[in-house]
Amino acid sequence: MSKWEPKIIAFLCNWCSYGAADLAGVSRMQYPANIRVVRIPCTGRLSPKFILSAFMNGADGIWVSG
Amino acid sequence: MGNRTAVFKPYAQAVPGAFSISKKDKSPCTNACPGNVNAHGYVSMIGEGKYKEAMEIITRTLPMPGVLGRICPHPCEDACRRAQVDSPLSICTLKRFAADQVDINDLTVPEITPRDEKVAIIGAGPAGLTAAYFLALDGFNVTIFEALPVGGGMLRVGIPDYRLPPSVLEKEIAWVQKLGVEIQYDTVMGKDITVDSLTEEGFKSIFFGIGCHKDIKLGLPGEDEVENVIPGVKFLRDAALGDMKEIKGNVAIVGGGDVAIDAARTALRMGADKVSILYRRTEAEMPARDEEIEDAKEEDVDIQFLRAPVEIVAENGKLTGIKCIQMELGEPDESGRRRPVPIEGSEFIVDADVLIPAIGQKSDASFLKNTDGINLNRWGNFDVDQITYQTSREGVFAGGDAETGASIAIAAVGAGREAAISISRYLKGEDMAAGREKLEIPQQNFNAIPQKAKKIPRAHMARIPMDQRKSGFTEVELGFTEEQARQEADKCIDCMVCCECLECVKACGAKALTKETHEEKDRELELNVGSVVISSGFSPYSPKNLDFLGYEHRPNVITSLQFERLLSASGPTEGHVVRPSDHKEPKKIAWFQCVGSRENNRCDNAHCSSVCCMYAIKEAVIAKEHDPDLDASIFFMDMRTFGKEFEKYYIEAKEKHGVKFIRSRVHTINPVGDSGDLEIRYVKENGELIVDIFDMIVLSIGLEISPELKKLAKQFNIELTQGSFAQTATMNPVETTTPGVFVCGAFQGPKDIPQAVVDASAAATAAGELLAPARNTLTKTREIVPERNVIGERPRIGAFICHCGANIAGVVDIQALKEYIQTLPYIEYVESNLYSCSQDTQTNMTEIIKKHNLNRIVVAACTPKTHEPLFQETLINAGLNKYLFEMVNIRNHVSWVHKANPDQATEKAKELIRMSVTKVGLKAPLKEAKLNVNQNALVVGGGIAGMSTALSLARQGYHTHLVEKEDRLGGQALNLYKTWKGEDIQQMLDEMVQQVGSEENIQVHLSSTISQVDGFVGNFKSVISSKDGEEVVEHGVANISTGATEYKPIEYCYGNSPRVLTSLELDQKMMANDPMVNSVECAVFIQCVGSREPDRPYCSRVCCTHSVESALEVKKRNPDAAVIVLYRDIRTYGERERKYIEARKAGVIFIRYSLDNKPTVRVEEEGVIINTTDHVLGQPVEIEADVLTLATAIVPRKEEALAQYFKVPMNADGFFIERHAKLGPSEFATDGVFLSGLAHYPKPIDEAVAQGKAAASRAVALLAQGTVTTNGEVASIEPMSCSSCGTCVSVCPYSAPSFIEEGRFAGKSEINAALCKGCGLCVSSCRSGAIHLNGYDNDQIFAMIGVV
Repeated sequence: MSKWEPKIIAFLCNWCSYGAADLAGVSRMQYPANIRVVRIPCTGRLSPKFILSAFMNGADGIWVSG
Repeated sequence: MGNRTAVFKPYAQAVPGAFSISKKDKSPCTNACPGNVNAHGYVSMIGEGKYKEAMEIITRTLPMPGVLGRICPHPCEDACRRAQVDSPLSICTLKRFAADQVDINDLTVPEITPRDEKVAIIGAGPAGLTAAYFLALDGFNVTIFEALPVGGGMLRVGIPDYRLPPSVLEKEIAWVQKLGVEIQYDTVMGKDITVDSLTEEGFKSIFFGIGCHKDIKLGLPGEDEVENVIPGVKFLRDAALGDMKEIKGNVAIVGGGDVAIDAARTALRMGADKVSILYRRTEAEMPARDEEIEDAKEEDVDIQFLRAPVEIVAENGKLTGIKCIQMELGEPDESGRRRPVPIEGSEFIVDADVLIPAIGQKSDASFLKNTDGINLNRWGNFDVDQITYQTSREGVFAGGDAETGASIAIAAVGAGREAAISISRYLKGEDMAAGREKLEIPQQNFNAIPQKAKKIPRAHMARIPMDQRKSGFTEVELGFTEEQARQEADKCIDCMVCCECLECVKACGAKALTKETHEEKDRELELNVGSVVISSGFSPYSPKNLDFLGYEHRPNVITSLQFERLLSASGPTEGHVVRPSDHKEPKKIAWFQCVGSRENNRCDNAHCSSVCCMYAIKEAVIAKEHDPDLDASIFFMDMRTFGKEFEKYYIEAKEKHGVKFIRSRVHTINPVGDSGDLEIRYVKENGELIVDIFDMIVLSIGLEISPELKKLAKQFNIELTQGSFAQTATMNPVETTTPGVFVCGAFQGPKDIPQAVVDASAAATAAGELLAPARNTLTKTREIVPERNVIGERPRIGAFICHCGANIAGVVDIQALKEYIQTLPYIEYVESNLYSCSQDTQTNMTEIIKKHNLNRIVVAACTPKTHEPLFQETLINAGLNKYLFEMVNIRNHVSWVHKANPDQATEKAKELIRMSVTKVGLKAPLKEAKLNVNQNALVVGGGIAGMSTALSLARQGYHTHLVEKEDRLGGQALNLYKTWKGEDIQQMLDEMVQQVGSEENIQVHLSSTISQVDGFVGNFKSVISSKDGEEVVEHGVANISTGATEYKPIEYCYGNSPRVLTSLELDQKMMANDPMVNSVECAVFIQCVGSREPDRPYCSRVCCTHSVESALEVKKRNPDAAVIVLYRDIRTYGERERKYIEARKAGVIFIRYSLDNKPTVRVEEEGVIINTTDHVLGQPVEIEADVLTLATAIVPRKEEALAQYFKVPMNADGFFIERHAKLGPSEFATDGVFLSGLAHYPKPIDEAVAQGKAAASRAVALLAQGTVTTNGEVASIEPMSCSSCGTCVSVCPYSAPSFIEEGRFAGKSEINAALCKGCGLCVSSCRSGAIHLNGYDNDQIFAMIGVV
């Protein structure tokens, strides 16, 4: 269990959180590599089905940010 | 707090996001070097331990670092600013240190392109060797002819070996030879060769660097005949060449220069019993270097001052002594040194066995013949052009001592290099002098000397013991140890900031930075323009001069701008608020308002800076968000939150965030011991003296105009206001006093971002009005590549991976990625590039797409937010639809953030690419529809703002319908008397109405309203209703400027007495010259009537200035009248503050009241009685007024119908909501609809005019395009699946969906692509799954999720 790493899928709004993730890079902030980002045009685009689908496909956590 | 290097990016989000290099004035050391050696550069490199790089810098201008590092009198050190801290750096010895560490012959020989031309150099001294070196680097065939059997000239035969070991010199001569220079020794000019013979031998150019090797004589009888009188230069030469090995007895040397000292110390080493130097002045005047004099003294050389030789004493032709005369110093001579004057009868004899006269040397060019055509000057030196070093004979050059007379080696090096440049240009047939004028480089603007610089004593070299010194010619000085050198070099204070080491040029793999770009300088360009907009902004006030604040002395007293950086995530502490002195988190911060504003005594800024109250509140709130326990206090005089939504923010700061607001101007800040804490004393409103301690104090500094900007204004002949802002008129708020020159931003007056943005648009349109006929005359049309149809094709995906230099490749395993991508479905092509965004890669990509017939592209590089458009352009150029593209962010989201885990980073990159490859395969080409924009405009509201918009549009050629519901134009301005600048409003309004009337392009609809609006951006259809019926107009844009009204009060006995008026009613009475106001004895104004109340929590912005202006007018009409203004905060922002000062000077009394203790009013027969509390005395006062004026609120009209027609929002107060509070103040989020005037927010006339123009500017930007292009990534509806529920219609913020009205799908919903912003809200809300979002469709996103 100690070696277990969660797989996190992030749905990021293109205009804010995706840009913030870019800025985190520019600022060289370091964070774990478990996140897979799906860029969406707005969190308004986020259908609840995406979240369910992500869990069904093995995601351990979902992060929606916008 | 953070350290910035010379190469920097201003901050992380800076636009443009490019790096710059800071360079101040040339470093004084480099500037002082006659050889132009970059001292700052090599000192920096030594400090970094990069000795080879140091040598590379030195050898850019000097081929002999080890030599000059030993013997140079270092003018650089005299110029060194470190002297202001402790002492100059030992720059010269550092150079020697570098040369001692790196064998010059180990440096890489630069690539040389050989040329045929032969050049002869006469003399292998510093000038000749340097000239040869640079000519050889340029590819020329260089031969040096040297009269002596050794090279180096004076360096070899004039400087004794204990100062400069021959091996050091030989090594550096070998370096020059290594570049291909040939040296012929024992070849004497005039004997072995002549100018003519060289020419005959095919030498195309000759350089004379023959030095000064001939002694100047004492001019005493017997000098030439008496035995043992040996001239100094000859003596040193004989000693150096081994022709003279020994010297005995007493040696007397006459002179005070380096040769005299060198001769003395050489004589000692050759066995002299006693060595005396006889010098006719004192030590202070001695030209020899101080170090040399000290060394000589240490070695027991007897230096006798104020002695001049008058006779050589000899017996039988053999020297026995020298007769001297005692001198004394008289008046200064031409050289500034005091002239020695002989004392009569003071002669005496100094015993001497050997006499060495060393009073100077000169050049010997006696080999020249008249026919050579080479002129000498009156001192016998070569006469040359001071820029090119060419002599009177074409192609013959000269430099060094032979040209200047005896001087220092580094000057000869400089001359040799300059001459080499000339010779090279001469032989290439170029202009020798072009661009080489000797410019005075200003020496004022340097990197500041760090306050914390510790005093460190200057490093000194170790020396060999004294017994060894006197007994031989071993080098005395041993150079620096590495530790010494590094420490000494680290003392450099980087005067120029950038040291021009050019290491960055080496480091830049993309070749964006080259030697040329590095040396880019300001250029002068001549532009042909029809109009000028000055938007040069303001300078932050520097609180340095307010000594009581202790700014710059107390580290925890900082300016508000510095605090902004502390709050910023990209600031020096990454947004972590700490105080500068000890990096502790502050627990208690005070803001001091009005530092450098509203201050006439200690600085010259009487104006209010307009923005500081609001930014201080914002800073306090953000600081409290960082640390909720923070104790934040703002010390202020009047709280001026007069902008839109600002008052609410102020109330929230107080009530929700607990920011304390203290009305007091604090006088003094005292440090609390060494703690860094700061003690302040202030007086509360009730008179109580408070002493308080803060961790940190933020000075809310004001805005002012820089001297440079004032100079610019003068050049443009622009008149300035008292506060030095650009003078403008109310009706032309962006035009300066020079026609055609416009102004926007803080140069027009202190202002915040929204107002600056309004002004900017207004200035653009003001220029546009002038230049309308020239529109589209300088445009270029792009060639369009036909788009390939890929529908029905199997995906053929090309993947391009970017290394981004080492940014990505340094962490992510690119090779592994490439191999992995090959395994993914539909991949046809994979490649990686050093920089995918470079121009050549783009061209290459276009070719590859065509060659491999690719139909989907994935680029794994940086962020699509900045680079997607660039790559989409490449797709278009390759004939592909730009939407067949996906970008994977493996830099910002991978390599930069997972540096420590390259394996995981590579794994993540693979997965992200897999997701995008999967998605791109499902992408389809998308269409961008082009819709024509109707070229007519509709302006709703015929007040100042609406007329301003209409005039601007009409003047730029657009037909405009101006709709006004009243029967005349003018709006609220019809009720107003004068502006704060004293202009007559009715007169200005009349002119404006006339202009509207005479403008052909404006169609005025009076007594009319809008009753229906259909359509969308570019294609509106509106119905204008009037009593005469309805008219349908088609228009491409609309502007809403429906204004606002005056609040009719229910308080303060309004309506109960003719003596109680509103501000507008008072204006009416003033215009009508009503005796009531002309003869008033006591006039009272009450401010904030209906504004800043719970019901209307906003400031009406104009009322303070209006009442102050009216108060002054009352005083003007009847100077004896008592005028009293009851206020809460006086908000005379910007230069309106001067009116407030004027009113106080005129005797207007200002009494403050608070919201919980408002004045009360009752009407009696004799007048209006007002009761209030005097804020200074704390006592109730009763005032009997003849006239009471209520400064009532500006109330929006709440135009619900209009808002619905155009689908634009209103805020809780009823003002329209603009697209963006800061950046889009004059337009709506709905495309094609614009906003100006009071309908946006209360504002004075000048701001309404500006916003009217601004709205027109934004509208013209759209109209002038002629068409609107829709985005491809928009929603679309399958009507068959639509269940007509209307959810999409109600959720869309942009009104893009609507119901189809007729036909087969009537009642179903459809999307207007022109309005859709592609957010996808309707897609996820659609219960029937009927809506698709192109580019982000369900199948695409599910596919991505499916392969995670």
